[in-house]
Amino acid sequence: MNKTELIESASKLESFNPKAVAEYEEKIPKMVAIMNEKMELRPDLDELIGPNNLSMMKDNHANHARFIASIMQNFNPEVLVETILWVFRAYRSRSFHSCYWAAQLSVWINIFEVELSAETYRDVLRLYTWMQVNIPSFIICSDEKLSENKSMHLPN
Amino acid sequence: MKTTKSIEIDQDIFLNSLLKGDHRKGSVVARSYSKSDEEIKLFYEHIVKPSLYKIGELWELNMITVAAEHLATSISESIMNELYEQVISDERVSKKVVLGCVENELHQVGIKMVADIFEMNGWDTFFLGASIPTSELISYAQDIDPNAIALSLTVYSHLPSLLHMIEEIRISLPEIPIVVGGQAFRHGGAVQVVAIPNVFIFNNLDEIELFIQNKAK
Repeated sequence: MNKTELIESASKLESFNPKAVAEYEEKIPKMVAIMNEKMELRPDLDELIGPNNLSMMKDNHANHARFIASIMQNFNPEVLVETILWVFRAYRSRSFHSCYWAAQLSVWINIFEVELSAETYRDVLRLYTWMQVNIPSFIICSDEKLSENKSMHLPN
Repeated sequence: MKTTKSIEIDQDIFLNSLLKGDHRKGSVVARSYSKSDEEIKLFYEHIVKPSLYKIGELWELNMITVAAEHLATSISESIMNELYEQVISDERVSKKVVLGCVENELHQVGIKMVADIFEMNGWDTFFLGASIPTSELISYAQDIDPNAIALSLTVYSHLPSLLHMIEEIRISLPEIPIVVGGQAFRHGGAVQVVAIPNVFIFNNLDEIELFIQNKAK
């Protein structure tokens, strides 16, 4: 899928239950702490995020949760897609491997299953499944701009 | 008279001066736009704004460091301050505006430009800068009794904070016009904001000026 198709696809996600958004938002600090703990325990962490990127990964987890709470509250497919593409470019250009997103989303989903009520989990899962399914498209779309990078010149 | 071509050249020189940390060269470009309010607006909208967007893009692609990005912002703000003498209008209109960024929002260059547009139009501006707590902004506005409040949002995930801030302002200052803008709305997302009565979204400095000249009478 290209960017326009991703936006079209995201626009089919139905609106989120305000109660689910409130529960997700309330549990962000705890879920982010668990997320960091679980990711740090992974033996393949260096391969996923590249060298010396631990604090950047933790920042990403905190920003991710805040952004998702915000987008569920005020859903806008274009903002969702543009922001994910920005994240892919910013982190991949700093040595995060594309496999990091599959690993990350999978760990988030496992955490939600334990920490969120069944109703909230179902609602949130729709968005996370959509992001998981579309990782290959996000990689391809972010590749376009990352490859432009090679032809750009900074002043001496 | 600035032509499209000369503006493009100046934009290139200004961007390069930011990337090299060359404050002096950036100031030279700024001074060439200091003869009138129109030129200063042109400098903000077509030189500073795209240069800082480009700096953000270079950071995104890991072509510059965080330090280089911060230096570019700092030089831009400093250069804008150098133009302040030209920005102040001699004709005052006895109107006041309180300006600031929502809580946790650290990007203040855009709202500083907005403050200067109000100043050019004879308003007294009270620029509270980055990450102003909602309660502090309201308390300050109640003391000052402004004619408008201007808020800026760069990072989309701060949108709930902005909506909360507007709700709280509405309780304490129900009638006051609120103008909102910033990079966060570059890809949309303003629907919830414009749905609130007497709240106006602006996309550029010309729209702010139109608000000042029409809606804020």
